[in-house]
Amino acid sequence: MIGCQALRWGAPGQPLTPALDFELSKGSLTAIIGANGSGKSSLLKVIAGLQKPLAGKVRLSVPIKGGVSFLPQQQHLDRQFPISLQALVAAGFWGNKQSPEIRSQRLKTVLENWCLNGLEDRPLMALSGGELQRALLARLSLTDAPVLLLDEPHAALDELGQVLLWKHIHDWHLEGRTLVIVCHDLAAVREHIPCTLLIKSSGCAFGPSTELIRQLPQAQVA
Amino acid sequence: MIATAHLWQPFHEFVFMRRALLGGLLLACSTAPLGVFLILRRMSLIGDAVAHGILPGAALGFWFAGLSLPALTIGGLGAGLSMAGLAAWITRRTGLREDASLAAIYPISLAGGVLILGIAGKRLDLLHLLFGSALAVDGPTLTGMLWVSGLSLIAMTLIYKPLLLDTLDPLFLQTVSRLGPLAHGVFLTLVVLNLVIGFQAIGALMVVGLMMLPAAAARFWSRRLPVLIVVAALLGSLSVWMGLLISFYYSLPSGPAIVLVAGGGYLLSVVFGPVHGLLRRPPLLTSQ
Repeated sequence: MIGCQALRWGAPGQPLTPALDFELSKGSLTAIIGANGSGKSSLLKVIAGLQKPLAGKVRLSVPIKGGVSFLPQQQHLDRQFPISLQALVAAGFWGNKQSPEIRSQRLKTVLENWCLNGLEDRPLMALSGGELQRALLARLSLTDAPVLLLDEPHAALDELGQVLLWKHIHDWHLEGRTLVIVCHDLAAVREHIPCTLLIKSSGCAFGPSTELIRQLPQAQVA
Repeated sequence: MIATAHLWQPFHEFVFMRRALLGGLLLACSTAPLGVFLILRRMSLIGDAVAHGILPGAALGFWFAGLSLPALTIGGLGAGLSMAGLAAWITRRTGLREDASLAAIYPISLAGGVLILGIAGKRLDLLHLLFGSALAVDGPTLTGMLWVSGLSLIAMTLIYKPLLLDTLDPLFLQTVSRLGPLAHGVFLTLVVLNLVIGFQAIGALMVVGLMMLPAAAARFWSRRLPVLIVVAALLGSLSVWMGLLISFYYSLPSGPAIVLVAGGGYLLSVVFGPVHGLLRRPPLLTSQ
């Protein structure tokens, strides 16, 4: 599904890690963990085709446009942009060929699923960080992409939001989608995500979450 | 009654006033969405840079063909597009910001233009190029403006959705579509095209004012993008109308009169606008 061969990424001339090889199968659920600046978000962008790798290859068995959905970190967004929450979420229908009735029904359902009812007409500026994050996740829910790449999806979410997020992640996983999630909450990774890719400048490690994260008690404290 | 008659009488009486009004209104409508998007893309100053960059092309056109509309247009278009293109290319290759590349290239272009005018030794008034005269809009220029504004409104409608997403969330658009760079390119082309056709009517620098001031003012009146564009077009049209009247009755240059009216509208919006204005009541964010 997603394969990386001798992949190196980072700023030109400064690859972040030794060459990385891994293979994620269809329907897998994988976490990417590592310290700040280790290159987690960049790796996700490289997989999504948003950033060029320095060397090596990324292979995807789905079309790069429309086959992959990427949840960016929300500081990319201009909060002053004059657009309502509903319009932001509805952008997830890009390329969607369904009839307007089905779409509006789906939009309604998704807004409800992410507890966004009543906020439809709010401008971005009037949303809290958690509300905006749920809106971005709702947009992602509408894309139907078989591969979902989430960059810190739990950022800014309160407890209820986190519960919603993990519920959706499990649902997507059950639907057979392939998920890769950058996450700082190691306890949650251990609990919810079977496989983990640890990014470190000295070398990366890939394996079951319970094993990888047990070896890192000090990281858990941080 | 007499007062209202003053508002349209000059246009009724004089063909050149009618042409100036029509041309100005067309320009106000087609530059409104461009100005709004320039501000949203944080490229507010790029219109200014491109307006300066048009000069060498227009000067070359003048050198070879005299004061002819097609020559000035083609020259200006060539210079403006190659400048914007060069800046975009440098930006893509080096990863530095686009405004920096443009800011570096437009002085080169402007100085080149002034130099060419100097070598040509003919009397093309630099001031006329930069500040223009709306009262000099002739039939062919008006036809040109009609084509340009029609074309840009149609093109903006076509690229509206991808351009919006490319502005708000380029990473998302890149994952779902390849249209982002195309929308950006078409958008920049439209900006150049409008500036080129506008500089012959009200001057290169004044048309930037007509593009940016109503757009900047509109942000104080709404938080919804389609409304912003309509408000900007209305403010721009109003500025053209009032500016032409002022320039007619007080024998003032028309370009600056139009832009100053638009500037007045902007300052009033800063104070009284309901969205971010200084006098607004504390924001009540009703979620019903």
